[in-house]
Amino acid sequence: MSDRSQALPTPEGEYFESNRFAGLSVLLGSVALVALAFSVVGAMIDPHQFSFSWLFAFGFFFTLCAGCFFWIIVHYATDADWSVVVRRQLENIACLLAVMAVFFVPVLFLRHHLYDWLNIPPGKEAALDSKRAYLNWNFFVVRAIVFFGLFVLASQLLRRFSVRQDKDGNQQFTIWMRKIAFASLPMFALCLTFGACDWLMSLNYRWFSTMWGVYIFAGAAGSSMSLLVLVITALRSAGYFKNVVTVEHYHIMGKWMFAFCVFWAYIGFSQYMLIWYGNLPEETQYFLVRNTESWWTLSMLLVIGRFFGPFAILLLRSIKKQPHRLCYVAGWIVFMQMLDMYIIVLPALHGTGVHVSIWDFVSLVAIGATLGFVYLQIVAKASLFPMRDPRLIESLKLTN
Amino acid sequence: MDAAPEMIKGKAATTVERPLARVPLVLNKRNFSWLTERISGVVENPAPRWWWVSFTITGTVAMFGMFCLGYQISTGVGTWGLNHPVGWAWDITNFVFWIGIGHAGTLISAILFLLHQKWRTSINRSAEAMTLFAVMCAAIFPGVHVGRAWMAWFMAPVPTYYGIWQNFRSPLMWDVFAVSTYFTVSVLFWYTGLIPDLATLRDRATSKIKKFLFGFFACGWRGSNRNWRHYEMAYLLLAGLATPLVLSVHSVVSFDFATSILPTWHTTIFPPYFVAGAIFGGFAMVLTLMLPARAMFKLHDIITPQHIDKMAKIILLTGSFVTYAYVMEFFTAWYSGNAYERFAFWNRVFGPYWWYWWVGMLFCNMLSPQLFWFRWCRRNVYVVYFVCMCVNAGMWFERFIIIVGGLHRDFLPSSWGLFIPTWVDIWTFIGTLGIFTSLFLLFIRFLPMIAMSEVKITLPEADPHYGSTNGQQPAAAGGKERM
Repeated sequence: MSDRSQALPTPEGEYFESNRFAGLSVLLGSVALVALAFSVVGAMIDPHQFSFSWLFAFGFFFTLCAGCFFWIIVHYATDADWSVVVRRQLENIACLLAVMAVFFVPVLFLRHHLYDWLNIPPGKEAALDSKRAYLNWNFFVVRAIVFFGLFVLASQLLRRFSVRQDKDGNQQFTIWMRKIAFASLPMFALCLTFGACDWLMSLNYRWFSTMWGVYIFAGAAGSSMSLLVLVITALRSAGYFKNVVTVEHYHIMGKWMFAFCVFWAYIGFSQYMLIWYGNLPEETQYFLVRNTESWWTLSMLLVIGRFFGPFAILLLRSIKKQPHRLCYVAGWIVFMQMLDMYIIVLPALHGTGVHVSIWDFVSLVAIGATLGFVYLQIVAKASLFPMRDPRLIESLKLTN
Repeated sequence: MDAAPEMIKGKAATTVERPLARVPLVLNKRNFSWLTERISGVVENPAPRWWWVSFTITGTVAMFGMFCLGYQISTGVGTWGLNHPVGWAWDITNFVFWIGIGHAGTLISAILFLLHQKWRTSINRSAEAMTLFAVMCAAIFPGVHVGRAWMAWFMAPVPTYYGIWQNFRSPLMWDVFAVSTYFTVSVLFWYTGLIPDLATLRDRATSKIKKFLFGFFACGWRGSNRNWRHYEMAYLLLAGLATPLVLSVHSVVSFDFATSILPTWHTTIFPPYFVAGAIFGGFAMVLTLMLPARAMFKLHDIITPQHIDKMAKIILLTGSFVTYAYVMEFFTAWYSGNAYERFAFWNRVFGPYWWYWWVGMLFCNMLSPQLFWFRWCRRNVYVVYFVCMCVNAGMWFERFIIIVGGLHRDFLPSSWGLFIPTWVDIWTFIGTLGIFTSLFLLFIRFLPMIAMSEVKITLPEADPHYGSTNGQQPAAAGGKERM
């Protein structure tokens, strides 16, 4: 190890050359437009299937973006230094929450296909009537506005201050961002939890689990760290981040992937085991559907693919310190997050077995391509890493 | 990767300003020698008078607790206030309370180590010792609760030809394995960390007996490169092994309740909620013990306001998660529409044990840690101590509310009852407080209460490049920590 004790000169930042990737941008934009157009068609010709497909895609991308937001606020709340060089990409992805807010609008329009509790008139089912103070249309919309409002506000503020700090290096921005992060922690926990209850758990209004919010969080945090690995590696492959993001950063990101791989399994197992052990019909109904027919195969794939496989692989230090190998695992974990969301949403529609639909793919492509397109616009607007962050040098000199 | 700065080499300009400067972990530029003298001095100098007074009191209380245990074992479980429907009360409350206390030690030693949190070095030794003593106190309660304590070995996985046939489907059995594994790994971890410091005490020992004993337990430590290499590898591996135990032990304890189908017990969030609560209560207990020890032995330069600040932040974080779990419990009980769940939670707040909830859970656990949002509260030892005492009490109340609150209103009103503790209940618990504090007092007298070798590693002097380059110290070297 060479001597790292020299004070370093200020890096001058590194900028994404959007003209180099204009082709990719046009491609993504075009694909997004076509897929969105198909989505409109899907919503008209097969609204029932499409609404669930859309919610699945929405849930998948929302958890990725919300997870990135989580990592930013944790960065500030713990005053971490290792993550400074990768933080800007987290900020860029978290900013996509604004786009996700727009993509939530179709869920509102298609609500009657998704949520049975909206279709059952009062007085028909006592169990539902007893919770109508929460499960009612007006409150549902208000909550969604509040959740997205807070997410978008906080993510935009964090990125704005971070970019402004690039100009003058004013330390006050770090202090402000720290305050925003502290305030965002309880906000994040509550918004993600109740968002998960509203949008996903209430697909079956009879089912409930106190762990639900934590389960969704566990998946979001682990998969978003994996997404970050993919994004950073893509940018490195394009020639950026040379000697800025090192294998030491990959090592830490890999360790976090490992940690949340285990945490997801811990939460998922606890939830499943306690419901299985208690064996109360009002609780087991959720897992019974997902353990039935062909859903069982996907559920087993999730257990093995989301936990056992990555767990064994990520134990190896050599994997975590080799960016391209880590990318395979990261890509797999993101795919597993998609599978997890699929198993959460689609059985509410196809209770008797897996029924893959073209609209599942169309929705994924529509939202994914749009987010990719917007990301390419955002990423070019500021340095790829916070070049005047007070902890930048410590991040550059990271050793594990 | 050493090439991190390569990209920017040669570019001009200004040194990045570092306005949010790291604060030294050891204040007043104390050096290796001062640390050795101060920490070893606690062990080597005659015990101060306050120590004897304290030990006399706690020892007496401990003896009385042991008398109660003897009385209970010889007479029967009927000496406690248990009844139908409250078959678990103070005994299991105390068990969960003490097991929870231990968790902070493991979190500090294992998880904070893996997270490269250097500030842990000032408090990890005492916290780990506290873990061991807390687990010892915890193990007493289920052991004697079985009624015939001499048959507790039935829970051991003995060969099948003994014809015991343990019920491995019972979470109470899982507890036996979880807690015993936890204790074993905690002892190993604690002892491994002690070895370099025991060698220091050996080298400084003035009597033959001390030299022999410290030398024996130091396992021939010579501080060689080879010794350190093995030590660090063992420490890292043990940290890796202990990390899942932080989660598993209290998760298994929570299964004791959550695998049942009783309202307020059967809830899926119990495992992480119990773990967060355990760390919450454990950190409060660490501060409860360390703040007086810090004052009595004048360790202010080692356990600095920064350390207290960080521990207060962890109390705020875990306390907030506990609050989140309380909210989710109430919300889901209501959302479930289940009349029994709703009643049980209503009963928790307005039933016969209402004040336990209002004082213990609401005020002590939910509200008091919120003071730690404010920096001046985290930096004021009196406020910190007040909150810690609230949390200590609150976490005991919480377990009581969960256990007795879940039992005393059975499904049929004809089976309702109340729990009233007997003097044996009360004094057995107070006795374990005496056992715990006595063991802790003995620990600080006979073993280094702060990990000398680990604290020294955080000093700037420990960096191989210290003072070697144009007077500038490494930006991220040991000795500095985040504010």
